[in-house]
Amino acid sequence: MKSVLKRVLAALIVLSMGLTAMVACDKPVDPANAAADAQEILESKEYRDTYKTYFSTSYSSLNYFSTSYATVREIVTNCIDGLVEPDVYGNYVASLAESWEHNDDYTVWTFKIREGLKWVDHTGAETEYALTAEDFVDGIKYIGDPLNGAYSLRVVRNLIAGLYDYYWGLDDIDCGLDTETNRADLEASFSDIVGVKALDEYTVQYTLESSAPYFLSLIESSMLLLPVEYEYAMALGEDFGVDNTKMLYCGPYYVSEFKRDKLIKLTKNENYWDADKVTLNTVEYQMIPDGTTSLEMFQRGELDYTSVETEAYQSLQNGEWADNLIPNEFSFSTNYLWLDFSGANPEYNTFVQNENFRKALQHAVNRTSLGALREPVDPARLVRNTINAEGAIFNSEGVDYTQLEPLANVTNADYSKDPAAARTYMEAAIAELCNEDGTIKGVSAGTVDYLPVIKTEVDGKLPVTLIYVGTDDEDEIILAQLFEAMVEEAIGKDYIDVELAFDTSGDFYGTVGGSVDGPFNYDIYWDSLSTGYADPSGILGRITTEGVENVGAYNVPEYDALVEKALSAETFDERLEYFAQAEAFLLEGAYMIPVISSLRGYHMSYEIPFTGPRCLYGNVRYKGVKVATEALTMDEYEVLEAAWTAGKNK
Amino acid sequence: MTKYILKRILRSLVTVVIVFFVVFMLLRFMPLNGYFPDEMVKEADEATRMAYLRNLGLLDHPLVQLGRFVKNLFKGDLGRSITVYPKVPIATLLVEKIPVTAFLGFWSMLLGIVAGLSMGLMMVRFRSRIGDTLGNGYIMFVRAVPSLLYLFFIQIQISKWFNLPLVYYDDKPLSWILPIVSLALSSIAWYALWLRRFMVDEENQDYVKFATVKGLPKKQVLKKHVFRNAIIPLSAYLPSDLLNIISGSLVIETLYAIPGTGGLLTTAIKNQDNNLVQILVLMYAVVSILGVFLGDLLLAFVDPRIKLTDD
Repeated sequence: MKSVLKRVLAALIVLSMGLTAMVACDKPVDPANAAADAQEILESKEYRDTYKTYFSTSYSSLNYFSTSYATVREIVTNCIDGLVEPDVYGNYVASLAESWEHNDDYTVWTFKIREGLKWVDHTGAETEYALTAEDFVDGIKYIGDPLNGAYSLRVVRNLIAGLYDYYWGLDDIDCGLDTETNRADLEASFSDIVGVKALDEYTVQYTLESSAPYFLSLIESSMLLLPVEYEYAMALGEDFGVDNTKMLYCGPYYVSEFKRDKLIKLTKNENYWDADKVTLNTVEYQMIPDGTTSLEMFQRGELDYTSVETEAYQSLQNGEWADNLIPNEFSFSTNYLWLDFSGANPEYNTFVQNENFRKALQHAVNRTSLGALREPVDPARLVRNTINAEGAIFNSEGVDYTQLEPLANVTNADYSKDPAAARTYMEAAIAELCNEDGTIKGVSAGTVDYLPVIKTEVDGKLPVTLIYVGTDDEDEIILAQLFEAMVEEAIGKDYIDVELAFDTSGDFYGTVGGSVDGPFNYDIYWDSLSTGYADPSGILGRITTEGVENVGAYNVPEYDALVEKALSAETFDERLEYFAQAEAFLLEGAYMIPVISSLRGYHMSYEIPFTGPRCLYGNVRYKGVKVATEALTMDEYEVLEAAWTAGKNK
Repeated sequence: MTKYILKRILRSLVTVVIVFFVVFMLLRFMPLNGYFPDEMVKEADEATRMAYLRNLGLLDHPLVQLGRFVKNLFKGDLGRSITVYPKVPIATLLVEKIPVTAFLGFWSMLLGIVAGLSMGLMMVRFRSRIGDTLGNGYIMFVRAVPSLLYLFFIQIQISKWFNLPLVYYDDKPLSWILPIVSLALSSIAWYALWLRRFMVDEENQDYVKFATVKGLPKKQVLKKHVFRNAIIPLSAYLPSDLLNIISGSLVIETLYAIPGTGGLLTTAIKNQDNNLVQILVLMYAVVSILGVFLGDLLLAFVDPRIKLTDD
């Protein structure tokens, strides 16, 4: 307990020092002159045509359909173009599709593909394979076959008409449930069943199961909508994408060198349809698993980019690199507290059904203090009360989804404003759930068996025992200890007793929870969800009562009904309004408790920000990015950001 | 002797088969969740996960899986990685990774032996004097201080002082120096420690005392008599050391970004990459058993007094 308080104190001291430093150094940027100042900065720079960066976990394979997003998307984004791409402001513009249209309810999308393009190989040479509408159809055909083992298939499989039935039809045959249908016959009927068709050589049309006004953002975010040269991929079979020589490319770069776990070199594709706009000739990724090494290499001029974690930030902020520390910009991933509504702890389980108790928890968590563990300089920028991130989804008038009523009330709420609120809510819950002698109604003493994580006794009396389960990661242990301290302090130890347990198995989801199939060995745990494309359904559709991510097993029919309404809304704006109501209902009832964004850290770079595509949902694209011969400074960054913001608002 | 060798080979084969079978079956008792990446655990429904497992052949009876694996093995097909490097042929992985690890491992072993034995000799030659103290200090330092501390210091600071690359590059020989030295540090200490011990033991033998009384110079006694006899027990470890150069070091390969085999088995076990675990276990089991076996043969070869058979 003492050590936790010390850490909190230390975090606050660092916070105040950081803020003082920021105030002292801050020179306000004049928005009126931002564009001219930015232009001056850009003109004063010398540029180079190579960029050296790094990766810290292995790129296990380049097969963009069958490899997890986290490991391959950064490379694929730069080597395989999609139908559309974001411009510098994040608006979708033509890429492999020259133009596109959709019907009124956004269920049919038709794209006109550029003519005369060809796939290139790992030497950059054109192959005999032309890039046509059929390649996009084939991409869906590839992922629609369970034998190809596509990852993260759920969203696309459920969205494209008929794909769900086609996939499970093949699977039924493969596992012997359907012995009457011939696999080859079903495969041959793909175009009759699945809603993706090549209307002609250069026109591809997607028919969707439900209205998807966000479809363009899904194209940016999902690798499963990328094209593939089917004949080539099928000829290679399982070898497709295992290294750079077993791939074809149609993006601004191709992978010219692939040393597994060591080096990946992207070289400019001279046959690219928009080659003039590709500013860098090579992008080189080195494997550097350790943050200290990358920082040292950056300082020695061997890398053009390095991330800077909090500890390193503190040691650099008074040295020669102090001016070059740039805060990371945004994260659409939200960390939240997930409450279990079906747990084996009778005390907690009785209380968690009560809204006042959940609100007590909601108000007991000091988000800024938790944020300070990751971002000691400006923890407030991490605070997030909503599940979907701010800055990710906008209605037709450009209003941020999180500012739509009634969700705006949640977004802008300050749950720490009234320190007594948590205890007040808890007293209200106790009045409803406890007898006067402090025993909990309907609960008797017993054993809570969350093994292999924890087994403990409860007495059926106040204080309510709450079991927080986390991983044994050092940062998460500190976070859990802080959670314990702040909840017990805000609500009172006489009312609540937080017990911490840490999973040491290394398989948290298998041992503790995280899946609707169980196990449920927790009362509360810390998790994250990310807004993956420009629609709230990406998260909100998954956490309905029957949703695949309702791992806490709550039952909120009002929320489900609002999500249903949103999904069947006639216009996108109406859809967002219903989703905003749904999310607000869930959060005002504190069925889950968002806390902070997953944003962390700083970086130093030679890259000039805001010169390349603004990728909100996908990974960094290097097309058009400028790399200077001198490292970017914070002052320059602020001017460039102000100019970019002004340009976007135009 | 031939009969002995054949018997040892047969026994070794039985050991390898047992080790492999046990590991193979243990892997099949692992929880199914371990085969899925986190994003699949969170997002995919039960049916999708089952389809994924079925396509990997993981839902077949373990004996069916064993039969398939052995059949493919005899055809020279080591299979493909499941989770660590999805679908990448394991043979490709080993061909890519083993040479890198073995190359650095070989030079570090050589450095370890040469420097370690030299240090051991020096410690005996200058016993209870500064040379011995320095050697003991080194050994204690390497064994007592957590290796990450000095390995990190070497990487960051020594590289700065000598202007050496921070990480390994296969085309820059200068970048090989620090990983090789780092890899050799503990084996230098090991060889020095044991050579000193064995030589001190030998020094107390009657034949040494006799040679000294005869008036032979100490240097000659140490070199021609003591060292030669003390090195015999150490030689038994040479084949194992040589063969184990393919296993690599997780810490050093991570620090210097060496794309070798260090930590591959650990990663494969953690990710339940059955195919990769099976091949690596098989490989390391063969290497270990072969190392001990060759060590015994070498011992009999360098010291004719040692008999491996009764006759």
